[in-house]
Amino acid sequence: MGKQLAISGLAFGQNVLGIITRPYETYRRIVHKSSLWEMVYIGTCLALYFVTAALVKTSLFRPFLMTRQFVLLGAAATITFLLAVSLFWQVGRWFGVKENFQGFVLGWSYSLIPTLFWFLMTSLLFVALPPPRTTSVLGVTFSIVYLLISVTLLFWKIILAFLSLRFGLRLDFAKIIAVCGIVLPILGAYSFGMYRLGIFRIPFI
Amino acid sequence: MGDALYNKFVKRWEEVTDLPPQTVGPLTPFYKKAAIRLKVMPWPLLVIGALLLVICLYLLIGSAVTLLVSILQRGF
Repeated sequence: MGKQLAISGLAFGQNVLGIITRPYETYRRIVHKSSLWEMVYIGTCLALYFVTAALVKTSLFRPFLMTRQFVLLGAAATITFLLAVSLFWQVGRWFGVKENFQGFVLGWSYSLIPTLFWFLMTSLLFVALPPPRTTSVLGVTFSIVYLLISVTLLFWKIILAFLSLRFGLRLDFAKIIAVCGIVLPILGAYSFGMYRLGIFRIPFI
Repeated sequence: MGDALYNKFVKRWEEVTDLPPQTVGPLTPFYKKAAIRLKVMPWPLLVIGALLLVICLYLLIGSAVTLLVSILQRGF
């Protein structure tokens, strides 16, 4: 088990670098060759983020409130992940998906890396430069830079999600659009529910 | 040695040709051009795309981008 964890750790590092520099080739490798052990590292990174977010979101340093926040964020992100994977898988099956569930789950897990970067950046900036932004030159400049980084990360996320569907579910472009056309409104409604519950204002997908 | 190399090549070839090439009708040449740039080191294209989008947004809503950012900053 220790050896497997170590090997998966190396593969995880290699894959994270790969999705930054060579996403297409790396995703093919992730879907075909990666092990589920790599999800331990993805889960650990997410858990570290939830600790950070719990610290930032809980204004008073109270262990009970922070633990509650951490559990809430972790549970909500896990449910969101399971829902997204199940929906894409189920709808993909209607379009004639060939079986590679493990590959798809791993691919989708790696697509959480851009999400994690954005949420981490936003949490840290919330502490360093808390909102609201003003309409001064500095405020507008910061806003433009923040939006630029956010949109770049969003594009990266879209590419990784596309590659998850392309390699994991073996769908072509038209079918990917069709699957997204069915799944995204459902995820949108779910995200609105999360927003109303005050858990994630921006969906952690 | 030769057999091992050949087997490795065949395995790699099967991996690469596992999925049929993507076509999107009359837009296929554009799709191919974009895909080539996105397969390896996509960041320049992503940043340029994002920059264009943000400039358009700024031209459209002006300094109200600060309001959008204030909302997004509370979005985690």
